[in-house]
Amino acid sequence: MSAGGDPLDDPQWEWVRATARAPVPTPPGLIERVLRSVHGVRGGLPAEPLEIAQEGGRLRVGERAVVLLTRRLGADLAARIGGLHVSAVAFEAGVLEVVVTVEYGLGADTAAETLRIRLQAALRAELGPAAPAVNVHIADVYRN
Amino acid sequence: MSAPPSTDAALLARAAEGEAAAFDHLVRRHTPRMYRVALRITGSAAEAEDVVQDAWIAAWRGLPDFRGDSAVSTWLYRVVTNAALGHVRRRRPTVSLDEALAGPGRARLDAGLLADAHADPEGHVVRTEQVEAVLWAIASLDVTQRVPLVLRELEGLSYEEVAEVLEVNVAALRSRLHRARVALLAKLKERS
Repeated sequence: MSAGGDPLDDPQWEWVRATARAPVPTPPGLIERVLRSVHGVRGGLPAEPLEIAQEGGRLRVGERAVVLLTRRLGADLAARIGGLHVSAVAFEAGVLEVVVTVEYGLGADTAAETLRIRLQAALRAELGPAAPAVNVHIADVYRN
Repeated sequence: MSAPPSTDAALLARAAEGEAAAFDHLVRRHTPRMYRVALRITGSAAEAEDVVQDAWIAAWRGLPDFRGDSAVSTWLYRVVTNAALGHVRRRRPTVSLDEALAGPGRARLDAGLLADAHADPEGHVVRTEQVEAVLWAIASLDVTQRVPLVLRELEGLSYEEVAEVLEVNVAALRSRLHRARVALLAKLKERS
């Protein structure tokens, strides 16, 4: 490209146009995982809020807040463990269902169990013994 | 005869009134595009998936604030762009560019490119190298240049739409895009 010329006129700009045309496949199951997350945050029938005993009274935490808290804690813990990503969180039948994707070669079962234990502990630290139980499900394994 | 598909605006209006199925319909319709934008901004498939999740949750929570001043697709572009920017800015500083580009995003893109590999194997190799170079170059730019480039040059939005997504005026956007294109081309020439 000559100095001051329009980059769009440069023959090499065709590479950018080729990139724009290159298809980007959606990961299998992504839409279902998104829907599960959205349903988790949206909530179904109104559930009984969690009640947490505190000095001078009781704190009531709604289902939606519990799901969002779990999602944030889960994402932070997964980043610290490494090779794990929280894809969805839903509150179903009184249990927090956490869906993750795991990097190939990491030892999926061990990583998922580590996340489950740490997440359960983190939730108990935030919500007390009333924190719901946590299940972790591996939805996909990706190669890095 | 089946009913005609609902417009985005109609679905959003129904979703805002509490019709969960209407919002789910929007999720099914727009997630592929939102994932593509997130992947092109972050360069990482795993991170792009997180971005899409966060974006849809933000969209659902932001439903009451949507005034209909912009198209639904423009609003969703804004939501996913903001989510992607949040992830990029929170990213660990130790993640190298090569690491990000060698990740699963690369594999997903390769999978897409493979779709036309059988028709023209030699052309496919050249295209793959070109696309790889462009993605590397875009990912090495600052996000203030990367995001408008992705929206305008890869997603094909008009200047007005990109300006609306980024909430800047068109003149400022044109200027920023010109600098971004010059920077991108310089990086491509550096590499080739």
